[in-house]
Amino acid sequence: MLRVTLANLRAHSGRMVTTALAIVLGVMFVTGTLVFSDTLDDALGAQVKGSAEEYSAIVHTERTTEEKQPELPRQTLDDIESLPEVGSAAGVVHGDAPLIGQEGQAVGSMSTAGLSASEDTRHSTMAEGELPTGPDEAALATSSADVTGFGVGDEVTVLDAEGREHTFTVTGLLDLGVDPELSYRGAVAFTEDTAHAMTGIDGYSEIDVTGAPGYTDSEVRDAVAEVTPGDAEVLTGAELGARLAESAGAETELITTGLMLAGAVSVIVAGIVISNTFAILLAQRQREMALLRCVGAGRGQVLRGVLFEAGLVGLVSSAVGVLAGIGVGYTGVVLGADALGVGDSAASLVVGPAAIAVGLVAGTGATVVAALVPAVRAARIPPLAALRDSAAQGAERGTSTVRVVLGAVLGLASAGIATWAVRSLEDEPALIAVVAAGVVAFAGVVALGPLLVRALVAVARGPMRELGVVSGLAADNSGRSPKRAATAMIALTVGATLITGYSVISDSAEETLTNKLDEQFPVDYEISGQMSPHGFMAEVDPEVSRELAENPDVARVVRVRSSGAELEGPSVSAYFGGEVGTEVSAPVASGDLADLEPGSVVVHEDDAEGNEAGDEIAVETAEGEETFEIAAVTEGNTGLLGVTMDPDDFREHFPDVTQDQSVSIQGTEDVPADELRDTVMAAVADHPRLQVTSAVQMRQEFTEILDTLLLVVTAMLALSVLIAVAGVANTMALSVLERARESAMLRALGLTRGQVRRMLGVEAVVLSLIGTGVGIALGVVFGWAAGVALLDGLILSIPVPRIAGFLTAAVLAGLLASVLPGRRAARTSITRSLASE
Amino acid sequence: MSENSPNDPPDGASPAVITRDLTKVFDAGDSEVRALDSVNVGFTRGRFAAIMGPSGSGKSTLMHCLAGLDSATSGSVRVGETEITGLGDKELTLLRRQRIGFIFQSFNLLPVLTARQNILLPAQIAGREVDQERFDHIVDVVGLRDRLDHTPAKLSGGQQQRVAVARALLSSPDVTFADEPTGNLDSRSGAEVLDFLRDSAREMGQTIVMVTHDPVAAAYADRVVFLRDGRLVDELYEPSAESVLDRIGKLEV
Ligand SMILES: Nc1ncnc2c1ncn2[C@@H]1O[C@H](COP(=O)(O)OP(=O)(O)O)[C@@H](O)[C@H]1O
Ligand SMILES: [Mg+2]
Repeated sequence: MLRVTLANLRAHSGRMVTTALAIVLGVMFVTGTLVFSDTLDDALGAQVKGSAEEYSAIVHTERTTEEKQPELPRQTLDDIESLPEVGSAAGVVHGDAPLIGQEGQAVGSMSTAGLSASEDTRHSTMAEGELPTGPDEAALATSSADVTGFGVGDEVTVLDAEGREHTFTVTGLLDLGVDPELSYRGAVAFTEDTAHAMTGIDGYSEIDVTGAPGYTDSEVRDAVAEVTPGDAEVLTGAELGARLAESAGAETELITTGLMLAGAVSVIVAGIVISNTFAILLAQRQREMALLRCVGAGRGQVLRGVLFEAGLVGLVSSAVGVLAGIGVGYTGVVLGADALGVGDSAASLVVGPAAIAVGLVAGTGATVVAALVPAVRAARIPPLAALRDSAAQGAERGTSTVRVVLGAVLGLASAGIATWAVRSLEDEPALIAVVAAGVVAFAGVVALGPLLVRALVAVARGPMRELGVVSGLAADNSGRSPKRAATAMIALTVGATLITGYSVISDSAEETLTNKLDEQFPVDYEISGQMSPHGFMAEVDPEVSRELAENPDVARVVRVRSSGAELEGPSVSAYFGGEVGTEVSAPVASGDLADLEPGSVVVHEDDAEGNEAGDEIAVETAEGEETFEIAAVTEGNTGLLGVTMDPDDFREHFPDVTQDQSVSIQGTEDVPADELRDTVMAAVADHPRLQVTSAVQMRQEFTEILDTLLLVVTAMLALSVLIAVAGVANTMALSVLERARESAMLRALGLTRGQVRRMLGVEAVVLSLIGTGVGIALGVVFGWAAGVALLDGLILSIPVPRIAGFLTAAVLAGLLASVLPGRRAARTSITRSLASE
Repeated sequence: MSENSPNDPPDGASPAVITRDLTKVFDAGDSEVRALDSVNVGFTRGRFAAIMGPSGSGKSTLMHCLAGLDSATSGSVRVGETEITGLGDKELTLLRRQRIGFIFQSFNLLPVLTARQNILLPAQIAGREVDQERFDHIVDVVGLRDRLDHTPAKLSGGQQQRVAVARALLSSPDVTFADEPTGNLDSRSGAEVLDFLRDSAREMGQTIVMVTHDPVAAAYADRVVFLRDGRLVDELYEPSAESVLDRIGKLEV
């Protein structure tokens, strides 16, 4: 049998090319992802470790975003320095230092961090230039330089703790690696004295210690721990390095997980393609199988022979895929080095045994599993089949009743789960249920596949016959092996469903959120204070809104005041200058927003404790708990959250809140955009820490984020589509071989080469349109369901142009898939095909 | 009978297809196969001719060259007034589409099409209007009226060949080629098909050239030409099975 198997592989190696390609691509993705993440983790790890490992011990205080960071007093540094185990020690000051951007306002919604940096501190890697040495010098984090456009030699303005402006010359750009807090906020680094002065912080958040000669790092650590206050943690450099490397790995986990999921989809699609190829090849070799049985091969031998063949093809292709994956993964890290925060440090390739093993096992396993059903079927061929005339390929006969029943049951089950998810569940469980419903529906499509193909082709046949003989023949051919066509189709459907589903979610989310913004809070600009990680929020001086309200360009100014985070219960807000229910709005679960008046409140359903409009509710105020009547209960994630009070009530119950949390500005109908912008910028000119956000800009940023995500998701799933297209090409190529005589006859009857090619092209287009169409239908339904599960009050938006794009892509993919089979069919000599058999 | 001389039709009508020094050499790897060697033969309009010869004598090759399915190595082939030697694939395709009919030994029909659709296929490919009367007439002649909506899988071998005959004759081509049309049929079905071919020549004036190695089949023809080793070696008018067998016997010697 082994010899027969090998001889077969040699003889049919051409027919295995697409199968092999499908495996290679799938495995390439999987191994590529693993190599990518291993290499990236290693590079990031090396980078963060490198900065920590130089030190014998590092003392740091626990960082929390809630509270202001506890400080290590100067005394602690002195104590550490005087230890015999310690060679040298340096403290790191870490506070706020709002950097003023080119526009004149502080950069970012959270203030820029202020650091001290010297040769002796951990953060001292310069991407460019030098560390600051004098009181008028500062270094910028590379992230801050990117955002503001400032560079070495520029003058920058930074606010001190009292809000006074100071000017510094930029001496260099500091590479802070992948520290998540610092890369989000950005940083300005000063000499230690300047850092104390600017941040207003007297102590340190970290002390970096180098041991004296003759002491091990752990000895130094233990000695240092003796003299540090209890709330500080002391680690050796290596320990901190390991911890940082781990958290750097966690940062990349999301990317890796996403890639792995897409990789799994690719492998599944490759499995479907492979299964189809084997089914077709074995059907074509039915005679040969039967002959083997005639000469005495047992069923087991035939089965083993086929599986061995599959295993061999799988193993060889997986090996190629693993090699390709190593290349792709490494290329990914190198090309994405900047974006991924690896910096310029040349990443060294890391190929873990897992990357190789997973690739080989997944590829070979998928191939063998995919070949299992066709192999079992081949083993069942009776020896007598050798004597039968198997060449006449009759139409496939399927047990269609079973399929219909199964399809209907699965379809109903899916509809049930989806309805339940949309009606009664929320958030994550709802999403999981929707995904489950999608999987069940997909199983239904698989069961119904051949019938679906037959039905759709039957519908298309009429109009296609009208179009001419070529498209008529193509329609007939595409419906001729519905099982094959269905499998080829399903491979495509997987990718099409996922891509369409995600597009619908993304488009609907965009539509819903922008629509809600427009409807519930029609503003042109919003002014708010800058946050610091300690929860401190610079509030908006009422002077700013007063000035704006008097400006003729401004139609309305709505000020929001909020209770802040000190209270136990939900945060309480009030809108000054805007009528709740008309100018400030939200989706309502019960009651009427317009009923809000002194003595009543509007509550979001998350904080309503099950109460409805008309019920009473206790609200935590600065003056203690008070009881209010509920005017309305709101829902959704935009609009009115927490508790909303009448402004008079708010003043009474929160007498200490005198500043606005944010101010929304709407211009008059006819004010030019530039003029309104100038007006708003002029109002905040004396308050550099205020952030001005324009609605247009907000929407744009939001849309950009969604579009980028969509692009990334589509790109990751595109490979599975590519594999599926290879599958369609393969199905076509094998059909062409089978129909060689038929094509020869058509050519004899007067079909030109071009017409033969076109016939196959149309057939492939029909197949890929069916696959894509079914995927789009599933994607729209389940994308919508998932969207509803995730976002309350979702406005369904079907991205019609994008879906038209998918259909166009399907047509092109079909044409592409038909190129090689078409060439082959058109080139085949008529007389030779007629002579064979 | 003089070898390699154009076979002038006895009644002086112009030939439907004629060859001059038709030679076909196949390149079989290291050796050359001379499948046709200076064949000069003509086939009269409205007649039913048979080409006979032992296996490998070049019958199929001759037919392929006559029908524009294969190109000659040297010499010429004329279909009606058209010199087809040297025509490109496109022109040959058009020629076949418009002027030539085919009946093959087996797998004549497209399995996905019904009998009716198969019969109409060449007309559709050529974009020709179909004369309904002629269609009805031919369908009745071949006796397929009640089988028109069946797919080939549901037809017997004889019925399938009759569909192929109807398809070939529907557009009244200049010449219809049949390559062993009865090779896969039992003798009764074979006889039916041969009857139709003879009748279509006699009654509808069709020109038919049939390749066969069966003397009984050849006896249905008006004339038989004999091939051996790619050469035209003999011919026989108004053949009977016995006279054909007799002639074969002589040629074998
Ligand atoms: N495509 C081809 N390549 C090489 N040799 C061929 C080819 N087709 C036919 N021949 C050879 O040409 C000769 C005549 O073949 P053919 O016309 O098929 O004979 P017949 O139909 O009389 O049996 C044979 O020797 C055959 O092997
Ligand atoms: Mg032959």
